[in-house]
Amino acid sequence: MLSQAVVKRLKEIVGEKNVVTDKVGLLTYGYDGTLLSGEALGVVSPTTTEQVVEIVKLMNEQDIKLVPRGAGTNESGGTIPSEKSVVISFTKMTKIHEIDTENFVAVVEPGVINFDLQVELAKKNFYFPPDPSSFKASTIGGNLGECSGGPKCFKYGVTRDYMLGLEVVLPNGKVIQTGGRNFQSEPGYDLTRIIVGSEGILGLVTKVFVRILPIPRAKKTMLALYDKVEDASQTVADIVAAGIIPTTLELMDNLLINTTEDFTHAGLPRDAGAVLIIEVDGYPEDMDGQVKTIGEIASKIAKEFKVAQTAVEVDQIWTSRRSAFGSVARVRPSYGVNDITVPRSNFPKAIGGVLKVAKDFGVTIGVVAHAGDGNLHPLILFDQRNKEETETVHAAEQALCMMALDLEGTISGEHGIGLVKKKYLDKEFTPAAMEAFRKIKRSFDPSNRFNPGKIIDL
Amino acid sequence: MSDVNISKLKGIVGDAYVIDSPSEMAKYLKGQGKPAVVVLPASTSEVSSIVKLANEKNVKLGVGGAVVDTQGITGGIAMVMSRMNRILEMDHLNLVAVVEPGLLHKDFILKVAEAGLNFPPEPYVIETSSVGGCFAIGDSDSKSFEYGPTRTFLLGFEMVLPTGEILEIGNKCIKNVSGLDFIHFAVGSQGTFGIFTKLLVKLLPVPEAKKAVIGTFASMHKANATFNTLIKRNVHPTRMNLINASLAKIAKPGTEGQLVIIDLQGFKESGKNIANEVASVLTLGGGSDVKIIEEGAEYDQVINGWLKVRAELNAKPSEIVEFVVGPMKMPQALSQLEAQTGDLGAYPGIIVEGLLGYVCLALPEGTDKLALARKVNKLAMSLGGNVKGLLGHKLKAEVYNDAEMWKQTTSLLSELRQQFDPKGILNPGVSLEA
Repeated sequence: MLSQAVVKRLKEIVGEKNVVTDKVGLLTYGYDGTLLSGEALGVVSPTTTEQVVEIVKLMNEQDIKLVPRGAGTNESGGTIPSEKSVVISFTKMTKIHEIDTENFVAVVEPGVINFDLQVELAKKNFYFPPDPSSFKASTIGGNLGECSGGPKCFKYGVTRDYMLGLEVVLPNGKVIQTGGRNFQSEPGYDLTRIIVGSEGILGLVTKVFVRILPIPRAKKTMLALYDKVEDASQTVADIVAAGIIPTTLELMDNLLINTTEDFTHAGLPRDAGAVLIIEVDGYPEDMDGQVKTIGEIASKIAKEFKVAQTAVEVDQIWTSRRSAFGSVARVRPSYGVNDITVPRSNFPKAIGGVLKVAKDFGVTIGVVAHAGDGNLHPLILFDQRNKEETETVHAAEQALCMMALDLEGTISGEHGIGLVKKKYLDKEFTPAAMEAFRKIKRSFDPSNRFNPGKIIDL
Repeated sequence: MSDVNISKLKGIVGDAYVIDSPSEMAKYLKGQGKPAVVVLPASTSEVSSIVKLANEKNVKLGVGGAVVDTQGITGGIAMVMSRMNRILEMDHLNLVAVVEPGLLHKDFILKVAEAGLNFPPEPYVIETSSVGGCFAIGDSDSKSFEYGPTRTFLLGFEMVLPTGEILEIGNKCIKNVSGLDFIHFAVGSQGTFGIFTKLLVKLLPVPEAKKAVIGTFASMHKANATFNTLIKRNVHPTRMNLINASLAKIAKPGTEGQLVIIDLQGFKESGKNIANEVASVLTLGGGSDVKIIEEGAEYDQVINGWLKVRAELNAKPSEIVEFVVGPMKMPQALSQLEAQTGDLGAYPGIIVEGLLGYVCLALPEGTDKLALARKVNKLAMSLGGNVKGLLGHKLKAEVYNDAEMWKQTTSLLSELRQQFDPKGILNPGVSLEA
C-alpha cells in the first residue's frame, strides 16, 4: 500500500483523476498479453515530461520501483508490475507534436497509438512502417520498448530502424535527448538503439522522433495455397533466391486458416495445408514483372496462386492474418504465443520442429509465421484453468525455444524478453554477453529502479 | 620508457609481426602519438592475448584496420588488423557473410559483388578503410535513405573486450530483439567497448539495374533546388548528391561548376522512367551537360568520383564541419550558410547529400572550427537539424542553455565506457567529451 502522503503527492503531480489506488483499478493494470499477472501499489498517468520527472524523483525518495506501461498488449510480460512498484502509464501522453512529411519525420508522445499515427500520416500519403499486428491498440512507446516487428519487416526492418531520436527520463530523474531528427545525431554512442527494445529498464521515453516514409506508389498482394506447410517454405526460399525482396511473406497453417475463416469469412479454402500471403511494393511499372516471377516460382509447388484484384480483396486477406491470434479463442480459451526466429534457411526445419513438439507434448499448435524473416508464431491452444495442461504447455514452450536455439536462431524475433523468456536468456547468450547487458543496465540504473526483473537481474 | 613487453608480444604473434623500428612502423600509423610497437595479430586468440598482456601493465592500446590513429597511445601498442582479412562464409540462402575485421572495405564490396550480392555501406576512406572500421565508425552515408545506416547491416559479431575476454553475440536471423541490443549499440562505439574480431554482416540481392544521372550547375542554390523538386515529385533516388565547384574537379576531372550526381538503383522498368524524369528536372532546373549514364564502367567511374571526394573529407575530421537539416530546408540552409562562407562554389569544399539533408564543409586553413560549428549549429537548429554527432549534442545543449543535460549525457557515456574498460586502456584517443 502506498502511504496517504505519497498518494497525495502523486495526485498533486498529475491530478486527482490520474492516480489509481483502488483494488479493482489496480487489477486491470496487472495484466498484459501474457498469462502472467502482478499487482502494483498504484498506477499513475502523467501527461508531461515534467510530471514524469517529478514522479521519478518522488519514487526514488520513497524507494519504490517504477514499471512503465503503454497499452499492455505485449507478449513478453514486460509490463507486469513487480513487487513494491508503481505503474507509470503513458496512455495519456497521446499528442502528435508534429508530422513533417517534407523532412520525413514525425514527433510523437509515447502514448500515441500506432494506428492513430498511421491514420494521420495516411492523410498526407505517408506511413510509419512498423505495424505489429496489435497496432490498433498498441502504443508507439510500447512498440519501441519491445522493439516490435510486424508483417513488413522483411523489407522494412523492425521498430529500431525507424527511431531517430528520443527524449528520455533517466532513473536519476534527469532528462536527456538521444539522436535527433536524422540519422546523424547520436552523441558518441548510439543511445537511441540501446534504449529501443530495453523494455523500460534503462529509461522512460517521453518523446519520440520517428522516421516516416511516403506510401509506396504501388503494391500487389498475392495468395498462394499449398497442401503442406513445408511446400510454402520452399516458395519463400525461391523468391529470395530470385533477388526479390517482398514487403511481406506471411504464412498460416491449416488450423489458422480455419479459425480465421470462422471469424472473417474471407473465403480461404478450409482444406488447404497452408496459405502464403505475399506482397510487393514499389513503382507501378515494376509490379507486373515481380508478380510474374513470383507467380512462376509459387506455381511450381502451390496448388493455387492468386493475385488480389481489388482493394477489398486485399483487405479481406489482411483481416484474416491480423485476426489470427484472437481467432483461436474459438477453439480453446487460452493460447500461448511464441516468437522464435531462425535463419531463413532453417525455416523448414523449424516447422518440422514445431510439429514434433506438438506431438511429443500432446498439445495443439497452430502456426502463423513471418516466413521471410524465419519468424514463427506457434500458438499453443489450451485451457489455463487446467493446471496440469498449463504445465505441459510451459514445457512445450521451453522445447520450442530450445529448438530455435538448436537451429541457430533466437528466442525472440519481435516480442521481447520481459519475464516470459528471461529464464531462457542465458541459453541464447554467453556469460560475457549477459554480463555486457548487466554493465549497460548498471550504467543507466545502478539502483535497479526502472522495471526491475525484466530481461535481466542485476 | 615503455612498459610494452616486446618479447612476450613476439611470443604471441611471431617475430615477423611485431614491429618496433620507427621507420617500419610509420606506414601503419597516423597522428602525432608515438606508440612503442606495432603488432599484427592473425587470430582472435592472439588479439585476446595481446589485450590481456596490455592489461597486466596498464599499457594503452590503439586499434585500426590498415592504419592506427596514434592519439593517446604514446609508449603503447598499435594493433593493426590487416592480417585478419578472410571472408569466412558467404551464405546465399540467408544473405549474410561472416568476415574478419581487417579485410579492406573496398575488397569486401568486390568479393560480395562477385558472389552476386550487395553490401551497400560506402567505404569511409577508399584505400584504407576496413570492414571492422566500417562498423566501429558506424556512420550513415548518402545511400542511407534507401538502404538504412551502416548499423542495420550488422547482425552479430565476435569481440575481444578491453579485459581480453571474448564476447560472441548475434545470429543469422534478420529479426532479433532478444536481450539488450548490444549488437547495434556496439556499432559506432569506435573500439571503446572492444575490438571486433569477426563480423556477421547482412547482405542484399544485387539491384536489377543501376543508372546515374549527372549534370553541372552554375550555382549551388540552383543545383540544390532540383533536389527539392525531385522530393516534391515523390522521387527518392538511391543517392542525390551535390559537390561544389572546388571539389567537383576531384570527382570528375574537367568539371566546370557544381556537380550533381543522382544514383538510381532498382528495377529496369522504373529505372528508365525515373532516369528520364530526373534528367528533365535537372535540365529544367538550369543544369548543363545533363547525362543519363547506363554503361557499367562509366557508372562506376561516376560513383568512384563521389567516393573519392567523400574519402578526402573523411580523412581530415579536424578540418571539416558537418551538419544536418530537414532535406527540404536545404535551400534556406545554403542561403544562410553563404553569409558565413561567402560564395559556396568557391569555398574549399561543400558537399550535400540531398535526401539526408546533410552538408559537409571543408574548412579553409586557419578557420576556428569550434566558432564556425557554433554558428552553423544555430543555423541548422532553426531548420530542424544540428551539427552532427557528439559535438552537435554539446552545441545543442549550449543553445538550450542546458548544461545539466550535457553533463548527464557525458557522464552516462563515460560510465558506459568505464563499465566495459575499467582501466581505460582501449583506444584512449577516442574522446566522448567533444
